[in-house]
Amino acid sequence: MGDFVKTTLSALTLSLLLAAGASAQQSSRTQPIEGIRDNGTGYHALVGARVVTAPGQAIDNATIVIRNGMIQSVERGGTPPAGARVWDLTGQTVYPGFIDSHADLGMDQVPEGGDVGPTHWNPQVRAWFSTTANLQDDEARRKALRSQGFGTALVVPKQGIFRGSASVVNLGDAGVRDRVLRPDLAQSIGFQRSFELGGRYPDSSMGVIALMKQTFMDADWYERAWDAYDASGRAFLPPETSAALGALENAVHGQQPVIFETRSEEEYLRGQKLAADYGLDAWYRGNGQEYRILDVLSQTSAPLFVPLDFPDAPSVDDPESAMDASLAELRHWYLAPTNPAQLADAGIDFAITSDGLTSVADFLPNLRTAVARGLSEDDALAAITTTPARYLGIEGTHGTIAAGKVANLVVAEGDLFTTEADVRDVWVQGKVYGVTRAAQIDPRGTWMIASDDQWGFQAQLTLEGTLNRLRGFIDVAPGRNVSEGVRVEIASASVIAETGRLEVRFPGDDLGYEGTALLAGSVSGNDFYGWTALPNGANPSFQGERTAPFTGDAVGTVASDVPDIDLPWIRPMMEYGVPSIPQQPAAVFVRNATVWTQGPQGRLENADVLIRNGQIAEVGTNLTAPRGAVQIDGTGKHVTPGLIDPHIHSGVSDVNETGATIVPEVYMGDVLTHNNIWMYRQLAGGLTTAMIKHGSANPIGGENVIVKMRWGLLPEQLKLEGGSRTVKFALGENPKRCCYEGRYPDTRMGTQEIIRDHFLAARDYEREWKAWEASGEGIPPRRDLRMEALLDILNQELLISSHGYRADEFLALIRLAEEFGFRVQTIQHGVEAYKIAPELAAAGVAAAVWSDWGGFKMEAYDATKYNVRILMEAGVTVSLHSDNQQIASRMNWEAGKLLRTGLTEEQALTTVTINAAKVLAIDNRVGSLEAGKDADFVVWSGNPLSQFTKAEQTWVDGRRYFSLEEDAVLRAQVENERQQLIQAVLSAGSGDRGSNGGGN
Amino acid sequence: MYRLRILGAFMMFALAILPAMASAQVRMTVPPQSETIALQGATIHTVTNGVIENGTIIFRNGIITAVGADVEIPAGTRVVDATGKHIYPGLIDAYSTVGISEIGAVDMSNDVNEVGDFNPNINADVGVNAESRHIGTSRSQGVLTTLTTPGGGLISGMSSAMALEGWSWEEMSMESAAALNINWPNPNPRSGRGFGGFGRQSGPQPTYEERVLQLKDYFAEARAYRDAVAAGETVRTDARYIAMVPALNRDIPVVVSASSAAQINDAITWAKSENLRLVIRGGDDAIHVAARLKAEEIPVILTSTMDAPNREYEGYDEAYGRAAALYEAGVKFAISGGAGALYTDRLPYEAGVAVAFGLPEEEALKAVTINAAELMGLDDRIGSLETGKQATLLITTGTPLDMTSNIEQAYIQGRELDMNDIQKHFFTKYMEKVRQRMRIIS
Repeated sequence: MGDFVKTTLSALTLSLLLAAGASAQQSSRTQPIEGIRDNGTGYHALVGARVVTAPGQAIDNATIVIRNGMIQSVERGGTPPAGARVWDLTGQTVYPGFIDSHADLGMDQVPEGGDVGPTHWNPQVRAWFSTTANLQDDEARRKALRSQGFGTALVVPKQGIFRGSASVVNLGDAGVRDRVLRPDLAQSIGFQRSFELGGRYPDSSMGVIALMKQTFMDADWYERAWDAYDASGRAFLPPETSAALGALENAVHGQQPVIFETRSEEEYLRGQKLAADYGLDAWYRGNGQEYRILDVLSQTSAPLFVPLDFPDAPSVDDPESAMDASLAELRHWYLAPTNPAQLADAGIDFAITSDGLTSVADFLPNLRTAVARGLSEDDALAAITTTPARYLGIEGTHGTIAAGKVANLVVAEGDLFTTEADVRDVWVQGKVYGVTRAAQIDPRGTWMIASDDQWGFQAQLTLEGTLNRLRGFIDVAPGRNVSEGVRVEIASASVIAETGRLEVRFPGDDLGYEGTALLAGSVSGNDFYGWTALPNGANPSFQGERTAPFTGDAVGTVASDVPDIDLPWIRPMMEYGVPSIPQQPAAVFVRNATVWTQGPQGRLENADVLIRNGQIAEVGTNLTAPRGAVQIDGTGKHVTPGLIDPHIHSGVSDVNETGATIVPEVYMGDVLTHNNIWMYRQLAGGLTTAMIKHGSANPIGGENVIVKMRWGLLPEQLKLEGGSRTVKFALGENPKRCCYEGRYPDTRMGTQEIIRDHFLAARDYEREWKAWEASGEGIPPRRDLRMEALLDILNQELLISSHGYRADEFLALIRLAEEFGFRVQTIQHGVEAYKIAPELAAAGVAAAVWSDWGGFKMEAYDATKYNVRILMEAGVTVSLHSDNQQIASRMNWEAGKLLRTGLTEEQALTTVTINAAKVLAIDNRVGSLEAGKDADFVVWSGNPLSQFTKAEQTWVDGRRYFSLEEDAVLRAQVENERQQLIQAVLSAGSGDRGSNGGGN
Repeated sequence: MYRLRILGAFMMFALAILPAMASAQVRMTVPPQSETIALQGATIHTVTNGVIENGTIIFRNGIITAVGADVEIPAGTRVVDATGKHIYPGLIDAYSTVGISEIGAVDMSNDVNEVGDFNPNINADVGVNAESRHIGTSRSQGVLTTLTTPGGGLISGMSSAMALEGWSWEEMSMESAAALNINWPNPNPRSGRGFGGFGRQSGPQPTYEERVLQLKDYFAEARAYRDAVAAGETVRTDARYIAMVPALNRDIPVVVSASSAAQINDAITWAKSENLRLVIRGGDDAIHVAARLKAEEIPVILTSTMDAPNREYEGYDEAYGRAAALYEAGVKFAISGGAGALYTDRLPYEAGVAVAFGLPEEEALKAVTINAAELMGLDDRIGSLETGKQATLLITTGTPLDMTSNIEQAYIQGRELDMNDIQKHFFTKYMEKVRQRMRIIS
């Protein structure tokens, strides 16, 4: 046991005792009177307190007059009006009632048996769900919120992707009909599905976003479809009925806010992009990681509700577990409590919510931690009063203490933000709810106590600390139980506020008992009368006398319990993150290197490369360096184009959408993540461009995304501007075996047919659109993102990049494409591509294959390292790919392996440079060192194909994103920060946890 | 247009090397060496006795009889001109499943993991399929000997030293029970990686401490059994305890798979108390235990030098640099061919990568030749080019550890191998298809 154990001050349920409320006027109520009426006056005067009327404004010794639920007046001094019940709050502090901008009041339950009625085909789309229509009493949650000072809350639904509408309610005990302030104010949308609701699609983060896009468009269509139906005089059959789409009409026209429920800063960015693309009025439930994107947030004024769910410290209890603590984890542990302060310092508007806390009771302690870590009291108060009032459109009635406003108040024993002051009462609509009572006694000091029994137990009890966190020890004098004096730390001490009783618990072991001993009694002045409960069942009574008082603050102040560590802002906020991306010099000059242009100039010895403004300007021998150019001595070095990998899966939140068989509407570019250590590692191995692919669960998977390795930028900035659009297909074993019992297809033949049938469906879709556009008759067709993606494939705008292994399945796909009159851009993996090399060449299909992977499954058994060579011999454009984040970081060696199959060195390197660019149809931008192309290049210590060579510098867009020198500096910084943070965890853990007020 | 392009592309390769044209078979097994062979004029990398320029190596009945710059060639010797070539010992993969694993995802083609926690009586060699495709492809990359090793459970069984030439496992097996293999329990079990996280077991799992205790207990029982037999007690025969005896008596090494610092530390503590010849396999965190490994003279088989760092803060080259770091710390090690059993043919690159990240080239070579042989008790037969050792060697154009050089011919125990393999066979066959199509076109 530690020397300190949190004590508890009894907090009885007082609301009934103090029910001095005012009922609403009878003339405006619908419910008939039953029983005897309760007609309190509802007329109160709160006197003597320090009243913080608004952030930054306070009145000492103020009088607040409340009548009929409203504040009638607030003034300094003042006299309570006759007839008002007077509440003496001398010594107390009063704040405006807090507003929780994002609360869960009984909305986390799923209806048994599922939703009924014409809602939406997808059970995750519940936009029709109204928190007003479904308002629950949820007394326990309301009381928990009130005990933290909240009188008003935005109630937000919790289930599904489209979750329904949120309402503003007050948290008093009035019935549900008297609780709603603003019904169905905003729509709530989450980035994850609720499994309890069922349904298969979507089951990935990109599938969720695809469903969002489709649903926004459907809501717009739904309105037009019904309008067309009505306008036609109902001349044809009506469109479908969907309560969900109907409920979204205002939101998709920007007339009702949409709250994006984000779990990371990346989801915030995703929400922001959706809002821009679909014209939404977006609000955001934040995630605690806002401090990572202050630059983005300072450009927007969208409402933001920030949670206080600070993370636990990583385990560093022994050196071996400390080895596993990442810098990303450690940094977030340290910085998360500074998130609100950082937002405020950056001038960003935000509210604070209790949502996300394991227990609502952690709210005030965590808020105090945030204040101890730099948030000003005024900003803290604004974030739970005036700011949410403004967001929720209730600033005219809530958020400050002023005449004419609703009487929502918090009465505290002191400063709620910098001390551990207790909340005494919370007033909601002029009705008071007790939270805690002041302790009637102060038992602190030194007491001499002696038992009345024949053993003559004598001890000295010392109690210290603050009133609600008592601590202390007992010095037992020698006697029957102990031959020598012994000191015992007490396990807990608490005061029962109302009765003036004290209870002290302490371990009995040192006194010869197994178990816990209890000392309980009544304190009156300096006298103590009580009894003991010993583990052996004996209950001797005793008397005590205070011999010395304890002087110290009754209420503890809150201070930071972590040392100050200088952690520079970096992006990404993890290992090897950087404060900014590298400069792009106006000119860079690489001198006297072996230059592998991989273009018409071939490989040049003793050659120079000139880069201007991020592009290759010239390659040749004896060039002249422009004045002021950044110079690189290439003597003995090799320079190649930046390497390109047409197939990786790192850098995205999810890989497979398996909820449907055909999913070209999902887009990997929607779920890029910049918090991706692999990007740095891949840069270190010379990789500069890669295609991040959807997985292989579906015959037609999602759209892929091509990125550049711009370490230190945000997801949208990673995308290769103007890059080709490609879509994942998958043939063979993976789409057959995937997902769930009974899913079609189960054979290669079925795979072929489901692809064909979807192409046919897309053609039908196109025909229906054209017919409507020509005639304008009937219900307007709906835009279908899946069908549009399929049409893009047929029109060669979305290029096929097909996973597969066996020759037969590729041949079938190529013939299918020919049937529909388009070309397959590339086959990937292609372990048996060599078997159909002439056919691939004739059809103009490129191949991306492995150097030496094979044998890991049946369809990979006929692998041969000579695959690339046969394909090259037959005239197929062939590159390598990795399908593996680590191999992607050393593609030069993969190319080197081809040398043993008889390729020349330059041919081998084409497979990871210009041919990889051709496979991706981006060879106009990257892949070779030619004038006008992007300055993506690598400086190698020697022949890049040798196992003995490593990359020394990697440049992207004419910026040096990696160098061995910089890497050494970053490593030292990472280690230095980790060590400091591990020390901080250890010191925070060994200290007085209570002083942080966190309890996290 | 295509026709011209295809023809042009093909012509580019007219002078490129082609693998030997095999007839119907993929890879023929050759008879034991019958005539004395001398390889003359090559740079000979003996590994243990330096590099001999313009040297000659002579072998008879599979055994090296002479190595040197100036050796007498007996009458009747077939002399092979190796001028300008390099000769290296055959590479040894100290941890492989060649022969007992064919296709990763096809269960029925795998004979790696036996049921149960304790299988010391399992010897890998009897399960080796002499016709496995991986034998030929491994040889083509210079790997001529594997320690084929079972997996699974706490005690997986015996690694067998296999020469990768012969009509049957019996002919290939050099040492049936070369090393006892143990999987050290994981102190921090996490759910499975990758797709779906399969492999999760139901019900309460034994703790780390309980697993370690099971292992200790098994060794104690085995030792008691051995001693009872030695004392002349009549006991019922226990095949598994009998199999443990060579390991208990330090006649063979005990290879413990251990990756994290905690695992390695605990394995060392245990092996010391059991007085075993410990070899650590895996050794990702070995550098963090290097002082102890050096002091206790415990060698390591590194299994993943071309792999990802285990922790985000570690350098991108953490795995690449492991061998160099251990070398500098004075720890003895071998390098094996990657965790993937199907990729023993990547062994040269696993060693080569260490050179790029600081390991002297000759040390990288030792890590896949003599060090592996010493760790596994095979250094009396293979691992270097010395008189009296087996003529298991490579003729190359340069170091076998770098892809810029080629491996042209290999000998195992003096047998001049058919260098064809399944992958070259597919090359030959499907180049014929390309040729036929072009003939039709032109």
